[in-house]
Amino acid sequence: MKNKKIMIIIIIIIIILIFCVIYTVRSFRNPSGKHVLIIQDNQIIYNLDLETAEDQEIRINYQNHYNMIKIQNHEICISEADCPDQTCIRTGVLKSETLPIVCLPHKLIIRYAEEGESP
Amino acid sequence: MKLRKLTELALLTALALIIFVIELRIPNMIPIQGVKLGLANIITVYAVFQYKPSETAMLVACRIILGAMFSGNMSALLYSSAGAFFCLIGMILISRFLDLKYIWICSILGAMLHNTGQILVAVLVMQSTAVFAYLPVLILSGSIAGAFTGLCAQLVIRRMQNTTP
Repeated sequence: MKNKKIMIIIIIIIIILIFCVIYTVRSFRNPSGKHVLIIQDNQIIYNLDLETAEDQEIRINYQNHYNMIKIQNHEICISEADCPDQTCIRTGVLKSETLPIVCLPHKLIIRYAEEGESP
Repeated sequence: MKLRKLTELALLTALALIIFVIELRIPNMIPIQGVKLGLANIITVYAVFQYKPSETAMLVACRIILGAMFSGNMSALLYSSAGAFFCLIGMILISRFLDLKYIWICSILGAMLHNTGQILVAVLVMQSTAVFAYLPVLILSGSIAGAFTGLCAQLVIRRMQNTTP
């Protein structure tokens, strides 16, 4: 009886892990579109087409803090921020279609637009 | 007896905090929010199997609050406490019918629940479901870290049983 329960738990864990592996591998695919949304506090503040956007830096203020977003060679990344963890900078260039660049302290998300979302 | 238990729990909390602070010094190699080795959870897993649920909850609560103060990252308090809440409930439930041989399974499950709780809070804070995309990646990395901490806890518990009367 005891062994059966353990086996069930192990099987559930393995199934979850398999799903996660598939999903993670899929998220490394190249994105289909080039439309990027910059979202803060659940509001789209920028809607960019990386194909046509020229190299620039965008400063986004959040209360007394800021994020610098850099667009270069049709790629987008956060170049500077004054949040304590700096994870958004180390995430680097936005590559994956599903995994966004997130700055949790400043409630900032940079992600590719889904189909139907782009103008 | 009660005093003895209090001392033990305080000692464990101190140990967990020391591990936590040392881990802060190790640079995080994977640049994804929430990916972490979580070595301090060795103590959590140990406590789940050696103490009553209420005592374990007290230990973890102390560690999280003091840990947030020590790291100076109070905004992380919300995420880690939600994660720990889910993780503890899951681990305490499952530890009732697990042998000491299978502690690492309990730890993996705890890690998965921890990451799920964190992501849920992140979704609530950001009010955006885009953050959900990180869940599979976090669960994957969390399970690896959880298996490691669980194995460590298993070793510790086995040694402790040999020495304490």
